[in-house]
Formats: sequence, structure tokens, C-alpha cells
Amino acid sequence: MSGIMSKRTVDAVFHGLFLFTDLRQILRDTTPDHTLDDDQKKEVSKILTKLEKQVAILQEEMLS
Amino acid sequence: MNCSDAIENREVDELFINLDPIQAGGRLTADAMKAVLSYGDGYSVCDNCGKPFRLDTIQKPPLAQFHADLASFLGMDAARLVPGARRGFLAVTHSLVSKNEPVLLTEYSHYTEFLAVEQVLGKPFEVMADSRHIITPDAVAERIEEVIRQEKRPPSLLFVEQVDYQYGNIHPVREIAAVAHQYDVPVLCNGAYSVGIMPVSGKDLGVDFLIGSGHKSMAAPAPSGVLATSSEWTEKIFRTTSITGDQTKRSFGLKEVEMLGCTLMGATAVGMMASFPHVRERVNRFGTQVAYANKVVDALLSIEGTEVASEYPRRHTLTRMNTNNSFDRVAKKHKKSGYFLISALREQGITGIIPGSTRIWKMNTYGVSDRQASYLARSFQEIARNNGLSVG
Repeated sequence: MSGIMSKRTVDAVFHGLFLFTDLRQILRDTTPDHTLDDDQKKEVSKILTKLEKQVAILQEEMLS
Repeated sequence: MNCSDAIENREVDELFINLDPIQAGGRLTADAMKAVLSYGDGYSVCDNCGKPFRLDTIQKPPLAQFHADLASFLGMDAARLVPGARRGFLAVTHSLVSKNEPVLLTEYSHYTEFLAVEQVLGKPFEVMADSRHIITPDAVAERIEEVIRQEKRPPSLLFVEQVDYQYGNIHPVREIAAVAHQYDVPVLCNGAYSVGIMPVSGKDLGVDFLIGSGHKSMAAPAPSGVLATSSEWTEKIFRTTSITGDQTKRSFGLKEVEMLGCTLMGATAVGMMASFPHVRERVNRFGTQVAYANKVVDALLSIEGTEVASEYPRRHTLTRMNTNNSFDRVAKKHKKSGYFLISALREQGITGIIPGSTRIWKMNTYGVSDRQASYLARSFQEIARNNGLSVG
């Protein structure tokens, strides 16, 4: 891991952290029962898809 | 789950509706949480700091613009970030009040206002509220007259809360400031429960100093706050250093004396800045938040024997309840005594009321959704019914 590849890794870590933060915010918005409406479920689905992409980047950059 | 060996992870606001009076307005936005993740290191905002090496002039991250935006947002001429409103109080007393000079405070002044007066050896005089728990202009005028008779001079400064921490009542600051200015008394408005929560303009209020709390009402990490001044006072409060070392002959450029140089150098500043666009927008929805507060208070008032100690209908989300004749009657017979209420609330996923309180207690519903407000209303009524209280 060096140079531009390293930057990609770091960005993926932060992107992942920020996406988790968006999930955290949804938990806060829906406390205490965390019942999500349809829009919130769509939002969670989008976030999880983006998270999978970041995890894939990390696997590629850090483990290959 | 722990953050580290000895530190338990904090999940209060993820698991509960948190009614803690001092925490509601300081809950971070998602953008602030992200900023804290990114800027948690000590001097993290200093990567691109250049001459004159001052927080309010840093362009990247855009702290210079943030300072200008804050002043504009508050309807004042200059603003600085401070480590909590209390440090703003001290900057003002230290600049305006000398030993033994009288300072006017009120029955609802925060203790840190008193300590800021004590640090400069000033003499405190208090204005008492009327029977509605409101500080009135007439009471201020009477107290100034008394101070003049006793001290042979007017107070050097008047502290007044726009919204007080005990009742969450809104006080007539504009009228109070007009009265004080008739006696040439400068006015410091403590906006710890208003700035960042509701629209506030220092110019409209006619105050000389307007202070807000980042961690109490601006969705920012602690300790953070803002001290804003009118142009008349900017030079005095934000005066720059003139001291020189006797041996080294060192001087310290444009560092501001009352700020002790820079104030918030990391996650606090950037967290506050990250929340600011949301804060600037959310103050315009304050009416909706007040409606939610009234929904919860109305539900509580439907429980036999319950009273609201704050002004009613509510004009703010911080409310003082009197349940001496309802929940405290239950507490006297309940096996958990006064802890039954917080215990029952926690079972419903609600927290923030002082454990053991069943007589006089405070809550702040700021930030809840309509659904959450309805849930709170139902939960209080359900707890009352389950404990033998009638609900009208």
C-alpha cells in the first residue's frame, strides 16, 4: 500500500465511518423503537449498498 | 460495549428519547459527528494556519467565514468562538468590571455569571422575578435605582437571560435593555437556551453582548460557545496584546487578550461549524418544536393533580413541571419510591429526568419529531394510569 492507493484506502475508511454515522443518525431519529418508515428504509438500503462498496475497496487495497 | 477498557460506549441518544434539560439542544447533527471523527486530533484546525495565527482568520477549514457568519446570524457586529458561554461571561466582566463595582444579575442568572463577577471582584445585585417568574423592565429599573442610591454609581453591567434555565420562560430582553441603557448600563444577554434554538437578533434585542452555548443549544461538542458584541464594544472586548517580555523583548502579534489567543482548536470548533448550516435553518422551525412541547405538557396536565410551573402555553421547549399532587403521591406508596417515575420512563425508552424526582422536575423536548412527541404524551399518561392516577 503506497502513494495514491493509500489515499484510496484512507478515503474508504472515512467514507465508511461517515456512512455508519448516517445510520447512527437514523437510529437517533427513530428512537426508542427504531420503527422505520418507507423513506427511511430506502435510505438505509442506499447506505448499506455504499458501505459494501467501501468494504470492497478496503479488501482490495489492504488485503490483496 | 466499550470505547476503551474503562470507558463504556455512550448510547443514550440512540436508545432513548432524551429529555435532559441541558442536553437536548446540544445533541450533535450527523455532520458534526462526522467532523468530530475527522478533526478529533488536538490542534487539528491548525494545518493551514498562517499570519496572524488566529483562529478567526483561518481559511481552511473555513473558520474565518464561520466567525463572520456567526456575527451575522446573531445580528451582531463581531463574534468569537469561546470554550462555553461561561468563558464569554468572563471575557466581558474582565473587560468591563473593576473591583467593588456593582453588577446586576437576576434571580435566574446562571451560577457561572456569578463566578465571572466574582473573578473580577465585582459586587452582585440581583433582580427578582415577578409572580409569573418573569424578569420585568420595571424590576430592573427599580434595582438600578437602588444600586445607584447605595453605591453612588450605576451597575457596570447587567446580565439577563433571554430564556432562563429554571422555568424556560422567555424574558422581555428588548424592554429590559432599553431600561438599562437609560442608565448607561451595558447589557449582556445570555442566550444559552435561545441562540441556536430560536431566532435571535442582538440588534433587535438592543443588547451590547450576546452569548450562546454551542454544547447547550448549537448542536456542538463541549466546551463551545460564542461571544458576540456590538461594534461599540468590539475593540474593548477583543483588544489585542500589547505586552512585551522584559528580557526577550518578545511580543505576541495580534493575539486577543481575553481569548488568551486561540480558543477552540479542534473538534469543538469544527463540530460547531459543521452543525451551523443546520442550526441556522432549524431556528426557523422553532414554532413546530414549541407545538410539540405543548403536546407533551398538555398530556401531562391531563393527569390529575399535575401542574406546569413554567409559563403556559409553553413558548419554549424547556419546561418545569409540578407533580407534587400526582407522581409524588404515587412515589410515597411505591416500592421504588421517587425512582418509580424514571424507572417507568426508561422502560418506555425515555430518559433525562433527574432520577428520584417526582415533585418539581424539568424536561426539554427540543429536537423530537411529531411521532416522538405523541409517544411521550402517551407514555406519561400510560404511566399515570398504571399507577392509579386518573387521566382526563
